Amino acid sequence: MAGLSTDVLVIGGGATGAGVAWDAALRGLHVVLADRADLGEGTSGRFHGLLHSGGRYVVKDPLAAEECIAENRILRRIAADCIEDTGGLFVTTPSDDPAYAERFAEGCRATGVDCEEVEPAEVLREEPRLHPGISRAFRVPDANIDAWKTAWALARGAHERSGARVLPYHAAEAIHRRGDQVVGARLRDVRTGDELEVEARVTVNATGAWAGRIAGLAGIEGVRVLPGRGIMIAMNHRLVNTVVNRCQMPTDGDILVPIRTVCVMGTTDVHTDDPDDQTVAEDEVQAMLEDGERLVPGFRRARALRVWTGVRPLFQDTKEGVASTRDVTRAHTLLDHAERDGVGGFVTITGGKLTTFRLMAEETVDAVCRHLGEERPCTTATEPLPGSEDGEHYMLGERLARREDGLLDDQLVCECELVTRRKLEEAMRRRGTSNLDDFRRVLRLGMGPCQGGFCMYRAAGIMHGLDGMSAEQANAALLGFLVERWKGVWPILYGDQLRQARLDDWIFQGVLDVGHLRE
Amino acid sequence: MRRTLHYDAVVVGAGVAGLTAAARLAESGARVCVLAKGVGSTHLAPGTVDVLGYEPDGSEPPRRVDSPARALPAFVAERTDHPYALLGVDSIRPALEWFAERIEHGPQQGYRYLGEMERNHLLPTAVGAARPSALVPETMAAGDLRGTGPICVVGLHPLRDLWASLCAANIVRLGVEARAVEVGLDVDRPDENALGLARRFEDPGFRRTFADRLAPQLRDDERVALPAVLGVRDPHGVWSELETWLGRPVFEIPTVPPSVPGMRVSDALRAALRAAGGRLVVGAEVGGAERDGERVTALQAHTAGRDTTYAARWVVLATGGFNSGALALGSDWVVRETVLGLPVRGAPAPGARRFVPEYFGEQPMSRVGVAVDPNQRAEGLENVIVAGAALPGAEPWREGSGEGIAITSGHRAAELVRAEEGLGAAV
Ligand SMILES: Cc1cc2nc3c(=O)[nH]c(=O)nc-3n(C[C@H](O)[C@H](O)[C@H](O)COP(=O)(O)OP(=O)(O)OC[C@H]3O[C@@H](n4cnc5c(N)ncnc54)[C@H](O)[C@@H]3O)c2cc1C
Ligand SMILES: Cc1cc2nc3c(=O)[nH]c(=O)nc-3n(C[C@H](O)[C@H](O)[C@H](O)COP(=O)(O)OP(=O)(O)OC[C@H]3O[C@@H](n4cnc5c(N)ncnc54)[C@H](O)[C@@H]3O)c2cc1C
Repeated sequence: MAGLSTDVLVIGGGATGAGVAWDAALRGLHVVLADRADLGEGTSGRFHGLLHSGGRYVVKDPLAAEECIAENRILRRIAADCIEDTGGLFVTTPSDDPAYAERFAEGCRATGVDCEEVEPAEVLREEPRLHPGISRAFRVPDANIDAWKTAWALARGAHERSGARVLPYHAAEAIHRRGDQVVGARLRDVRTGDELEVEARVTVNATGAWAGRIAGLAGIEGVRVLPGRGIMIAMNHRLVNTVVNRCQMPTDGDILVPIRTVCVMGTTDVHTDDPDDQTVAEDEVQAMLEDGERLVPGFRRARALRVWTGVRPLFQDTKEGVASTRDVTRAHTLLDHAERDGVGGFVTITGGKLTTFRLMAEETVDAVCRHLGEERPCTTATEPLPGSEDGEHYMLGERLARREDGLLDDQLVCECELVTRRKLEEAMRRRGTSNLDDFRRVLRLGMGPCQGGFCMYRAAGIMHGLDGMSAEQANAALLGFLVERWKGVWPILYGDQLRQARLDDWIFQGVLDVGHLRE
Repeated sequence: MRRTLHYDAVVVGAGVAGLTAAARLAESGARVCVLAKGVGSTHLAPGTVDVLGYEPDGSEPPRRVDSPARALPAFVAERTDHPYALLGVDSIRPALEWFAERIEHGPQQGYRYLGEMERNHLLPTAVGAARPSALVPETMAAGDLRGTGPICVVGLHPLRDLWASLCAANIVRLGVEARAVEVGLDVDRPDENALGLARRFEDPGFRRTFADRLAPQLRDDERVALPAVLGVRDPHGVWSELETWLGRPVFEIPTVPPSVPGMRVSDALRAALRAAGGRLVVGAEVGGAERDGERVTALQAHTAGRDTTYAARWVVLATGGFNSGALALGSDWVVRETVLGLPVRGAPAPGARRFVPEYFGEQPMSRVGVAVDPNQRAEGLENVIVAGAALPGAEPWREGSGEGIAITSGHRAAELVRAEEGLGAAV
């Protein structure tokens, strides 16, 4: 059996785990980062896309608001390339309690969240699709953040700085203890079935909603993470260009986030016992569409592209038996198992928000250093991630501009998201994976309105043409993509998106007859 | 200002079903006008006439049909709500014969369809899967996977819609010897779609250069597979010339849309319509009708800049299904017929599953269509006859039955009108 030896093993490759890997690498530690799936395929890649200003929490959870605004300012510097500076609005729609606006403004003052009241008429000029009946509006520094890009920048940075080993598709199956000390874990490559032993001085459990399970593997009881499931619906274009929040006590379906070529409506909050629960309930879909109408009248007539489910990692205070997960604290939890359980070499970090991943990582690696008995200061608040050195934010028109420059140089594989053949081939060589969904996440291949109808066959063909991939692998990649895509499509299939889906059915099942590749 | 024009029959939709009905009616002497929002699925579909390729019988993937003629009687006996049950198996053959003749006497000199209902061809798709089809263009027939000779799949660099290496590798998995080669073309841009290439292949110099580059790469007994780009106006000429030059069978494989062979079908049927004196207005969206009791007396069509009323004794509704916009599922999960507001049939009940989570499974929402009586008449209307993908009861992309249903139902719609009007037999 293959083996590795390292300072820090990070289990969980979401924003938090990747952030821990980056932080530890900057402090000069050797790191192995493992996820059972692709990086960012857990909650981080299934979130709403919002880099919180903190505005959402100013009344309900002022501490969270303070954390958010502080981290928001830092991330804009260090992860500039992963962030689009859309700005944010809190608007009082006719469905909202008008009295909340005062409490909101007051909360912003108290927590230091930058906030400026603006005339509704001005807002409507900027965002003409918004509900014309809004009575008050406040501008805040919300933005959007690309979680996949962030996770990969963190992982790449960790590799560049201290040779971190990044192991997607490696699930932790056992955590090894020698007496009161955790000494590493057994990973399994879920694609090949191969096992890999990792010996580590400290093991970090950064598995979010799955943290209870991983702690359990280490023989630690009572780490209860209460998954709160939420759905998000991506609409086929940007109905708004600014993040729009309803100015009310945080509840379901009150935020619309423009990100990349789409905008995302969310979200719900339903308790579930299983972090892998990806149910999209019919009534939740209808509720989201209703909520969409409240912000943008006519919302139902826009095309719903895709729906997905994320599970909030909410650490539960075991004494309480709360039914609604919205009231469990959203601030993160760091468990130093040496202090809590007398087990050394093991730390759990869970809860929090994507916006606060850096802070969570900092506190975690501080704890790691305590375990190692070493003093190593954190530098992540000032060190830019690879790709963000110039401090420039991502701009929506970036790809188009690049494409226009090289119009005659290269083939376009995905027209919706402007992915070129060269870019795709580069990514295919770099990643060495045959999972087309991996490229969807990093390149946005097949994420646009046609949902891969035209580009996925091309991508499978291109992949097959690269070094020695077999037809079976290419077929499996294509079929796997279609099956995976359908999960996010069928619950919200109506209107023009059904037209599109029917065209895709004809292409894949008619023209190409891919279904019979399964024989 | 609103104008009113008068016809014996107005056909809505310019897909295979609408053009078939219209041409056939015009040939029997009716004054016919086709109104279409846009071109039909012809420009996207592979151009083969699939009558019945698979029998979705619960097995996954569905079982392949070798002979539609033999399979159909049992198929319709079991699925009494299927379009073929409604149309009658016997009406398929004359419709296909009519279609094949229109192509043969069409504007593309010498271009023919080959095959019959007794036996499906088995043609490779662009991914290298085997697709059954009853009637196929002569330019595709040599691709039959049960035919002899290894296959050389030729990739054309600027075309992204057929990948030779994957196609060949999958053909090999089917037990047929195959390999891929790439041929560079003198095309001044990195991407060119099938239609653009088809236009270039119509230039003798261009295809000569191509053949000269390909010839030395070929082995003795190989058949040559090319993306379906061998010309729109003169496919027979382009294809037979390449066969002669290369000295071996050459065949086309349909690409991802746009579809050149499909456009040839559209051109041929439009020519038949024109030759018989029929009229076609593309860019006319029908959105409402005038009624007199159970008869529609006129249709309202919107064209750029003006609305026109088309008075007609008969209406053939060949507007397609969800993909052409003729049916729409709302976010309230109600299915509507968008053109005339007709009742639909076959939609899952409210609250029932619309789709199943298995992508390749049978989708409950697939079989919806306009509710009709046994004579294809829209429910409650005496003179509106429905044809093509607008009919309920089929799941054509899983069955491989789309064009078979379209041609047969279009042809039969014309027959029904003809009988009622006492029009003469078609020429
Ligand atoms: C619906 C919803 C919307 C949200 N929207 C926002 C938002 O807009 N802004 C914001 O700031 N926050 C948002 N959040 C919160 C935020 O997404 C999460 O707090 C954050 O992504 C958690 O990141 P993480 O890295 O801790 O967990 P995750 O991203 O879940 O990472 C945990 C990883 O552990 C892996 N794993 C599990 N088991 C194993 C194993 N056995 N071996 C190896 N790996 C394993 C998983 O695959 C996963 O990748 C939202 C949350 C939800 C649910
Ligand atoms: C990508 C693709 C691949 C296919 N592959 C196959 C295959 O492999 N095998 C097979 O058998 N079949 C295939 N088909 C299906 C086949 O082409 C269709 O099932 C069949 O042609 C149905 O034709 P139709 O004439 O009924 O409808 P369509 O071809 O859809 O034509 C509908 C017509 O109605 C018009 N229309 C709609 N609404 C209005 C309105 N309000 N006013 C005026 N006009 C209107 C449209 O503009 C269009 O002209 C494929 C289809 C597509 C799209």
